[in-house]
Amino acid sequence: MDGGALSVLPVGAGVRGAPLLRCLLRGVCGGVRGAGSTRLLDRLHRNRGAAVWETPSSSPGPVGSALSTKFGPRPVVMAGGILAALGMLLASFATSLTHLYLSIGLLSGSGWALTFTPTLACLSRYFSRRRSLATGLALTGVGLSSFAFAPLFQWLLSHYAWRGALLLVSALSLHLVACGALLRPLFLTEDPAVGGPGAQLASLLHHGPFLRYTVALTLINTGFFIPYVHLVAHLQDLNWDPLPAAFLLSVAAISDLVGRVASGWLGDAVPGPVARLLMLWTTLTGVSLALFPVAQAPTALVALTVAYGFTSGALTPVAFSMLPELVGTGRIYCGLGLLQMVESIGGLLGAPLSGYLRDVTGNYTASFVVAGVFLLAGSGVLITLPHFFCFSAPTLKPQDLVTEALDTKVPLPKEGLGED
Amino acid sequence: MPRSAGNHQKPGRASPVTSLPVREEMMAKYSNLPLESHNISLTEHSDVPVEKNITLQRPSNVELICQFTTSGDLNLVNVTWKKDDELLESNYMINITGSIMYTLYTVTIINSKQMGSYSCFFEEEKEQRGTFNFKVPELHGKNKPLITYVGDSTVLICKCQDCAPLNWTWYSSNGSVQVPLDVQMNDKYVINGTNANETRLKIMHISEEDQGSYWCHAVFQLGESEERLQLVVLSYLVPLKPFLGIIAEVVLLVAIILLCEMYTQKKKKQPDDGKEFKQMEQLKSDDSNGIENNATRHRKNESVSQ
Repeated sequence: MDGGALSVLPVGAGVRGAPLLRCLLRGVCGGVRGAGSTRLLDRLHRNRGAAVWETPSSSPGPVGSALSTKFGPRPVVMAGGILAALGMLLASFATSLTHLYLSIGLLSGSGWALTFTPTLACLSRYFSRRRSLATGLALTGVGLSSFAFAPLFQWLLSHYAWRGALLLVSALSLHLVACGALLRPLFLTEDPAVGGPGAQLASLLHHGPFLRYTVALTLINTGFFIPYVHLVAHLQDLNWDPLPAAFLLSVAAISDLVGRVASGWLGDAVPGPVARLLMLWTTLTGVSLALFPVAQAPTALVALTVAYGFTSGALTPVAFSMLPELVGTGRIYCGLGLLQMVESIGGLLGAPLSGYLRDVTGNYTASFVVAGVFLLAGSGVLITLPHFFCFSAPTLKPQDLVTEALDTKVPLPKEGLGED
Repeated sequence: MPRSAGNHQKPGRASPVTSLPVREEMMAKYSNLPLESHNISLTEHSDVPVEKNITLQRPSNVELICQFTTSGDLNLVNVTWKKDDELLESNYMINITGSIMYTLYTVTIINSKQMGSYSCFFEEEKEQRGTFNFKVPELHGKNKPLITYVGDSTVLICKCQDCAPLNWTWYSSNGSVQVPLDVQMNDKYVINGTNANETRLKIMHISEEDQGSYWCHAVFQLGESEERLQLVVLSYLVPLKPFLGIIAEVVLLVAIILLCEMYTQKKKKQPDDGKEFKQMEQLKSDDSNGIENNATRHRKNESVSQ
């Protein structure tokens, strides 16, 4: 069923909520600075980048998936919103760093995980024709919220200090509950056939393409975050001033946004498996990353940053909208939860690895090249996915998925039967 | 400095500014002090007086060199040195090498009275001036006021770059009078600093009376420096009101969304049969207008959404 355009908005808002709060963390850390307990938090956050907050927030992913499969996305997202708000509320009363970490990292992190995965997954259930575009639009929430919330949070900090700011952010996070309320329950034909969450997880773990896809995305994730963490430092090594460097980051963020929407539109417009588009964008991102050390002139760096921003943004919606083509919309919650849990390991390893390479070699050349290599390796694994080289549009129909789910040990070639 | 013809050295008369001995004796007595050397270049075309700011925190031997280039005759140029506005009579040399005139002033700065502005003047047709401003290191606090809540604790930090003051002290002020802080109250104020170039004042159990300005003072051998920090104390009610407002708004939103959904579902269930009958009638009448295709699609959607 192709839901109306109105469905995109609340889901987008729901997806917007969780990553938005991730970027708020940077503001919170800046606010804790005022309390004098800053250096440890600052150093920790700067070293690990976003990955540190992702692991605690991705671990409850499968739990959220299992619950969503059983109860639908709405109660899970609303509960996640309440958890996230509660975490921030408790954090505003923090008297120690541990208290702060536990409240935000564990409580709010779990809340965001419960929110993020179901909303992104249910997009694929609501949309079939405009799936990629819907995913792309929903994912723009991350970038847009960064733009909007960074100055808002600075304003909150300057008026209410970090405690008051956290208190108000907690209230704002409660809007996730409202977004969750908009996710009306949906029943698709293949739902009864794929079974409960336990059966789904078991069948996914035996599913060859899904496993290969997970490997590919983990490799991609390892290289993906590196420029976010190291671009500014790399620019400083090249003797850039802080202001133009920050400006370049904003340029990357804008091209990222454009890339997401463009790729979403393209994913729906181009016939055939979305895997090919994902491979295209991943390869281009890997190439642009590997070229970073070569570029010295400012114009070349700006061009590369725009290219990197666009291609890395472009691969995100396709990476998510490809999943239902592999596992079907019935198993989408569990599939996405499992996928996110595994791929976050890649994100966790990527930044420290490249930091280590930087320490060993003295500059960022090796780390950029290695990031590019990881991305290219990931795109290579994508070639092994089924129907990669087909020219028709073999999207899996519900009947095939029913057959597939009932027999978990079905070998690879049989999956596309009965389509062409 | 090479001594060539045309070299003038003023006799070592006691100057009104300092009562220091002549140069050689001075160098011998204070030879263990660090030497600071600073240059200013002037030409006959300099429109604006040239200034150089020098940060000094420890007693030092100082050499100030002004050089002057002009197209006219250097022998006709009159050179004077002044400290602030007082004329300096001794401790300087004048030298002409080629077409450049150098003048060197030496002074040993050991206390705050010798800090200030030292100026060299070259008088030709116009008077050209170069000034050396000596200052103690500046302190940096925070430009914006620090916001904190009643019952909370906060840390005020004052620091200066590359400096090591002899002493740090803190004052508070409400208005223009500075009152030293009672550091004996250990459960209220704690002063410590991890490095020599910074001081931290921790205020605990903050109440509304603690709101106001705080001053940190750094004492150097050559003077004092101070900086002002502002503390704003809010009560918990201040963010609580917008917090409750936003929560009320969210609850309202959720209620509206859920009620709307229940309402539309009820509407769908009840007049369903009547609706379909009416639509079938409408379709039969619209058939002749050629919008048959739209009708078919509409009907299909209806059945799917159920």
